[in-house]
Amino acid sequence: MSTFEFFHNSFGKHLTNKTNKLHMDTWRALSSNHLQQKKNAKGEHSSCRLVSGWAIVRPDNTLLQQKLAATGLIYDDRNRFDAFFQELQSWDGSPRIFLTFDKAPIPIANLFMTLDLRAVRICSPSGVETFDYTTAAPSNAGTIGASLHRMKEKQDAA
Amino acid sequence: MQCVEIKAILKTPIILGGGYLTLDALLASLIFEKCGDVEVAHTTVPIKQTNGLFHASAALLEPISRSSVSFVASLRAEHDLNPDLLKKRAGALKKIKRLRRSDFGNVLNTYGSLQAAHISWFAEGDKDEISQLLQDVKFIGKRRASGFGEIETWVIEDSDIDGVVGPFDEPLRPVPVEMFIGDQSSLKVDAAWKPAYWNPENRAICYAPELIS
Repeated sequence: MSTFEFFHNSFGKHLTNKTNKLHMDTWRALSSNHLQQKKNAKGEHSSCRLVSGWAIVRPDNTLLQQKLAATGLIYDDRNRFDAFFQELQSWDGSPRIFLTFDKAPIPIANLFMTLDLRAVRICSPSGVETFDYTTAAPSNAGTIGASLHRMKEKQDAA
Repeated sequence: MQCVEIKAILKTPIILGGGYLTLDALLASLIFEKCGDVEVAHTTVPIKQTNGLFHASAALLEPISRSSVSFVASLRAEHDLNPDLLKKRAGALKKIKRLRRSDFGNVLNTYGSLQAAHISWFAEGDKDEISQLLQDVKFIGKRRASGFGEIETWVIEDSDIDGVVGPFDEPLRPVPVEMFIGDQSSLKVDAAWKPAYWNPENRAICYAPELIS
C-alpha cells in the first residue's frame, strides 16, 4: 500500500473525493479549505485549511485536533506531545502517519508512514523529523523527538 | 556485470541531506549532467537491476563527527516578473502591486554535515563504465559549491556483495518488502526504492538500512 492510498483510505476520503490521482487527492486534502464545526455569525460553518494542531492517521481511523465539520474522524483535544507519546507507547505495529500542521500546508513530499519504532517520522510543513524511539535521544534530536524521549524517560523512571 | 566496492576518500565534510544517496542515484545524476534527459539518465545507469530495483547500495559511512552548518540565501525582488510583461486591462494597472521586500528577505538554511574518512558503496554492474563516470567527480552531496563533499580519490575494487543485501542479511538499500530476501527483523520504512527518488509515487514499504543523520 502506498503512503497516499493509506492517507486517503483513513483520512483524505473524509475531506475530498477520490480520483485516479491519489497524490493529488492527498495534496487537496492538505491544502484546501474544509468546513469547520465552528459556525459564524450567520450560523454557517466557517471554512479553513488544516492550519494548526496535529493528526494521527491509523489504518482504520484518524485522530485530529482541529475540529472540522467532517464526520468519520475522531476529534481529540490533547496536545501533540501527549497524543504522539501515547500512540507510540501503545503502538500495535501497524502503520501510522504523524502530522503536525502549521500555516503552510504540508507538502506531499513530506508525508511518510511510520512502520517501525526505530524510525518514527513526524511530518510537518517544514520537513520530516525522524528518530529512533527505542533508544535514548541523540544530541541532535529535533523538538518533538527530544520531548517524546523525555516523556518516555519520565514514565520509565516512575 | 560484476560486484564492486566503490570508495570515495573524503577531503572535506559531506552533507547528505537526509537521504540514502544510493550509487544508482549518484550515477544517474552524473549521466543527467551530461545528457540533460531524465529518462536516459535513469535507463543507462551501468548497474544491474531486477524489476526496477538497482543492485546498488546506499552510501555507507562512519562519521567521526557531526556538526550543523547554516547558509543565508538572499532572495532579491529584482528577479520578479516585470509588470510590463503582463497583459493589462484599461485602468487595471494600479491594481498590480509590487511584491513586498519582506517576501524576498534572507532565508536561513541549516544542514547537518558529517566528517568521515571515506564513504563507500557496494554494487553489481559494469566496473569500467562506473569508473569512467566517477573518475572526474570532485564533489558529492549537497553544498558542493561551498566546498562540502570534496573527494580526494576514488577507489574501485572487486567485492562479493551485490549492493542489495549485506553479509549479515541486512538491507544495504531500500528494498520493497515483497522483493526482500534477507533478515525480516530489519528496519522497515516508507521510502523511495527506484529512481526518481524525489518522486513520492516511487515510494513503498521497504526494508532499509538506518538513515545516517
